[in-house]
Amino acid sequence: MAAACSLKAALQVAKVLETIMSCCLGPEGRQVLCTKPTGEVLLSRDGGRLLKALHLEHPLARMMVACVSSHLRKTGDGAKTFIIFLCHLLRGLHAITDKEKDSFFSENIQTHGKHWKNCCQWKFISQALLTFQTQVLDYVVDHYLSRHFLSIFSSSTKERTLCRNSLEMLLEAYFCGRVGRNNHKFISQLTCDYFFKGMACESAFEEVFELVDDCFVELKVGVTGLPVSESRIVAGLVLHRDFSVYCPADGDVRIVIVTETLQPLFSTSGSEFILNSEAQFQTSQFWITERTKGIMKHLQSQDVKLLLSSVKQPDLVIYYAGLNGISVVECLSSEEVSLIQKIIGLAPFVLPQASSQHEVSSTALVEFCKPLILRSKRYVHLGLISTCSFVPHCIVLCGPVQGLVEQHSDALHGAFKMLRQLFKDLDLNYMTQASDQNCTSGPLIYKNSGESNQLPEIVNGSIQRPYQGTVVKNKDELAKSQTYLKVYSNLVVPNIELETHTPCSTLEVTPTDETLRCLSPNKAMIIDDHEPRIESNSANSATKNTGIDIYYENLQVTKIAGKGGMLPVRCMSLEMSTSLSYCFSSIPAGCVLPVGGSFEILLHYYLLNYAKNCQQSEEAMVSMIIANALLGIPQSLYKSKKGNYRFPQIYVRALSALQTNQPIISSQTGLESVAGKYQLLTSVLQCLTKILTLDLVISIKRQPREISDQDSEEEL
Amino acid sequence: MMSRVEAKKPSSCESEPLTSERVRVTLSVLKGVMTSCYGPAGRLKQLHNGRGGSVRTTSQSAALLTGLPVSHPVLKILVASVQNHVSCFSDCGLFTAILCCNLVENVQRIGLPPTTVIKLNKHLLSLCTSYLTSEACGCRIPVDFSCTQILLCLVRSILTSKPACMLTRKEIDHVSTLILRVFLLTIPENAKDRIILGKSVIIPLKGQRVTDSTVLPGILIEIPEVQLMKILPIKKSDSFKVALFCASLSGDLSDTGEGTLVVSYRVSLENAVLDQLLNLGRQLVSDHVDLVMCQKVIHPSLKQFLRTHGVTAIDRVGVALMEPLSKATGTQPIGSLASISPSSYGSVKDLGTAKFGSKRFFHLIPNEATVCSLLLCSRNDTAWDELKLTSQTALHALQLTIREPCVLLGGGCTETHMAAYIRHKTRSEPESILQDSACTQTELQLISEAFCGALESVAGSLEHDGGEMLTDGTYGHFWSVQADSSSVVNWPDLLSRCGCGLHSCRGELGWSFLRSPCPPFSPVTCLPPHEAAGAANNLTLDCFTAKLSGLQVAVETANLILDLSYVIEDKN
Repeated sequence: MAAACSLKAALQVAKVLETIMSCCLGPEGRQVLCTKPTGEVLLSRDGGRLLKALHLEHPLARMMVACVSSHLRKTGDGAKTFIIFLCHLLRGLHAITDKEKDSFFSENIQTHGKHWKNCCQWKFISQALLTFQTQVLDYVVDHYLSRHFLSIFSSSTKERTLCRNSLEMLLEAYFCGRVGRNNHKFISQLTCDYFFKGMACESAFEEVFELVDDCFVELKVGVTGLPVSESRIVAGLVLHRDFSVYCPADGDVRIVIVTETLQPLFSTSGSEFILNSEAQFQTSQFWITERTKGIMKHLQSQDVKLLLSSVKQPDLVIYYAGLNGISVVECLSSEEVSLIQKIIGLAPFVLPQASSQHEVSSTALVEFCKPLILRSKRYVHLGLISTCSFVPHCIVLCGPVQGLVEQHSDALHGAFKMLRQLFKDLDLNYMTQASDQNCTSGPLIYKNSGESNQLPEIVNGSIQRPYQGTVVKNKDELAKSQTYLKVYSNLVVPNIELETHTPCSTLEVTPTDETLRCLSPNKAMIIDDHEPRIESNSANSATKNTGIDIYYENLQVTKIAGKGGMLPVRCMSLEMSTSLSYCFSSIPAGCVLPVGGSFEILLHYYLLNYAKNCQQSEEAMVSMIIANALLGIPQSLYKSKKGNYRFPQIYVRALSALQTNQPIISSQTGLESVAGKYQLLTSVLQCLTKILTLDLVISIKRQPREISDQDSEEEL
Repeated sequence: MMSRVEAKKPSSCESEPLTSERVRVTLSVLKGVMTSCYGPAGRLKQLHNGRGGSVRTTSQSAALLTGLPVSHPVLKILVASVQNHVSCFSDCGLFTAILCCNLVENVQRIGLPPTTVIKLNKHLLSLCTSYLTSEACGCRIPVDFSCTQILLCLVRSILTSKPACMLTRKEIDHVSTLILRVFLLTIPENAKDRIILGKSVIIPLKGQRVTDSTVLPGILIEIPEVQLMKILPIKKSDSFKVALFCASLSGDLSDTGEGTLVVSYRVSLENAVLDQLLNLGRQLVSDHVDLVMCQKVIHPSLKQFLRTHGVTAIDRVGVALMEPLSKATGTQPIGSLASISPSSYGSVKDLGTAKFGSKRFFHLIPNEATVCSLLLCSRNDTAWDELKLTSQTALHALQLTIREPCVLLGGGCTETHMAAYIRHKTRSEPESILQDSACTQTELQLISEAFCGALESVAGSLEHDGGEMLTDGTYGHFWSVQADSSSVVNWPDLLSRCGCGLHSCRGELGWSFLRSPCPPFSPVTCLPPHEAAGAANNLTLDCFTAKLSGLQVAVETANLILDLSYVIEDKN
């Protein structure tokens, strides 16, 4: 059976999904109750989980879900926005194709049937989308949007250190969309506390996030039957087990980790033990006992007080451990063992082959080791002394039902993933390539890793540029906003000069938002005072020169919408707008924007501007569609707001602020990652191209036969 | 393999589950079941599966909810959260369930957007909790551990509220004294900064009168009569040496490793192991051990050997008794067959046999350990099950009281008092809540009325016989009147004491019917000390920790349920 895979069908599917997703979007979103086939109930506001739980049948819907999950694997956030944005894009496309059926596409399709014609049309659109994504989007993000970026780091010091206020705002915004309305404040506070307690020093946060993300299951304890407010952070590590033997010990406790049974066995795998007499059996049993006793004595003589074992130890070992005052915890999972090893840097204890009483080298100290009782279940509580940058802490998550505890722990885990993403530089494949240029020189790729400045190589070519208009426009914008410094050719000297300018434009951390808002206009004026002169000198020379513009930009973004001590991001990017060069720029690590649709409204504004100046109608059209679809997200965010906080009001205010170059004041406090948003946008566009390039869905009885590996090897 | 792979069936998705008739009906049925069980006059429920099997008569949430199948996911959430609460605190399960149902129902009736409701509910809850934990709380009584009166009242209230135990007044008194004694026996005498409570073991004795129940210090191990004959007459001594084995003494060869074990012809491992066991026996005898106990099986030959040398041997003790046994005797469970360190032996003060009903027991009396046995008798199985559960609840409530040394007034008085307090608070100083939650005064009034109404309905559920329910305008306590007295003009004449028994009826209290609009008043918060002392004999009390947590869980669960916009049911 074959079904026409039309845009209409895709739109219908997306609309249904949108209604479900939009109900749990944003701070006003509500909960969804899912049941598992086993009968367990789960509360969720996690878009990805909900989409999976639906077990959709429609092939297009399945494809969308697959796209969402591949996006989630990358970033861990944005499933709901994905669907809403996709739906709006489809709506936009649908409206356009309805209006101008075949106005801007080639003639040779008229011979085909209507359906195939449509498919061709969509194929063109999808190609246009692809070019948009590779050329326009990154260009716009890099040129225009980047000046609005804020940074999560406090830039008062040279080192990248986290600003607690900003992290709090970031997490709160994240949890607003993930956990129930009553709990998001509490949970985000808890998470924030966890980070700052878990960090040994402020600058090593990346390592901490990585470790916490990887070992999250071992670092949380779920307790059901208690109110959520009982959740807390405990110092040290909580193992989900009870002691096999517990001998109370004061002061620092020396521990060893073992991965095998300490009692020697008759035979190991692959060997045979031949018993020839009863006496032999008895002596070997006696030897086993003596040996076990010896090992435990030896451990005791080394002052070992706690034995952590990844396997079950025989009764004999437990007995002698008890006699020697050694507590034992058995059956630890390999993840738990590796986490402990990572934290205290301790290798497992290897049994000495001979009975020589040499020193046990692999021991470590813990501050305490005691039983912890949570809701009448017993756990082992270890005060590990960390040797890495992570100070071990555990989160005890409480909730009346398991479903809620799971939701909270999923949300926490997602937050770690999101933060991990945030602290990575995201390379934009911003390639300026003239579409009808034949001369293609080998691509030169420059990775710009935030700090290091590489001198770009310049490829000379004919001054052919469809972008000329925009570049000029760009310059105008820059001149207007007064936040750019353009310096021509000599990169090193101005760099130093610029550094001297920075102190005057760094903001002090101000405690309240009122003062901050008052400050920002002043600041803008300070910059105004300083920079026009440099601007005029360098810009003139730049425009007179022959087609090669090299800018070294140091832009200080001073717009602060949220509250708290936000400091401007210093965004350094190398940029070349020669027509034939390829250049990669990046969104630096830790870039954030205020929540509540700022990213979408900004991008919408700049894309519209771009489209106005764009000569090619296809490109302009695609940009328009995307720009308008972007507005769908803030629209559904502000759906239930009243009065001055309704979407049209917010939109108009934001636009007028942008036109007059004033800071946009967001009604909501909170931040979100720019890189995450950007990745979301590209993922949706990819998904859309996938949908558009399909023309038929053929349902088959059997599974499509997979091409076996052997064939491919032969081909190779 | 491939044929087993099946496509998943699509899930069903239901929007706005609370508005559907099905959910509403099932919710009200569940509420009906819970409400009718509540309190001393509650009706009993019989759980049986229609195909034979045991029949359970109960009115406790713990037993009821495990047996009750619920289909709708929304109800599953409710039931699961009550069950989790019960497994944490044992007590106040019905209170939690009823309050949660009431809240959902009341709020549904108002029809405000869930956002506002949830925010306000949370504020009202925090008002409640901060009031209950504050010093000025008028429905909280501090517990003085030097006097058992209040603790006894607490236990008695718990026993009284479980009618399925089928106890008479006298039996309730008897059992509550026993439970209190068990609790006191598990408290160590010389407690340091951290109290580690001892163990109590409940032993069933069915078919006996409840008044035959008793408490014995130490541990009782049930032994078949035949075996008891074999146990030697116990010689008189003031201390007996005990060895407790956790390793099997049956002569089996445990873990020999992953490789193969090749045994040559005519080598008998059985003999070898038996030799080893007898060696062990010799060591035990030479160490002058009087009593050998084993978690698992003892080899008959070893048993025989020990008996001939005057050592009593008891095997198959079971893992459940190991911890109390090692605590009572001070032994360390022995896991070795070869050599035993003398430090792992323990001792008991006395050994004996005892007969209760038709059962024979071996009785270990420890020197000074915090382990005791409660022999619980009841006429039939189902009443015994209920009584056992109730006793455990009461013991748990007492343990929780140590952690938080106070109790709440029971009999509905805490609920009505709290409702009065919240009404007053939201009328007199609503500013802080309004500012924080961005809602209007009217919305706050509506929600606080729904919240207080839900609390009062819980108190009202105590009355099952159609009697009138009143509150007073001074203390905000709960009063109920017999049903058959409707012709009487003057209500106060019929009232003697309020629900908790703290206040007696006086003329000037200012009556109003429960669930009727009454002017908000500030309930008197300080407890009358003389009255509290005088009435302490027959107060109805609730466990503070359990009730506080139940209140929080009920409101949180109600908020969860109200917040649901979709239900996705996996049909696989």
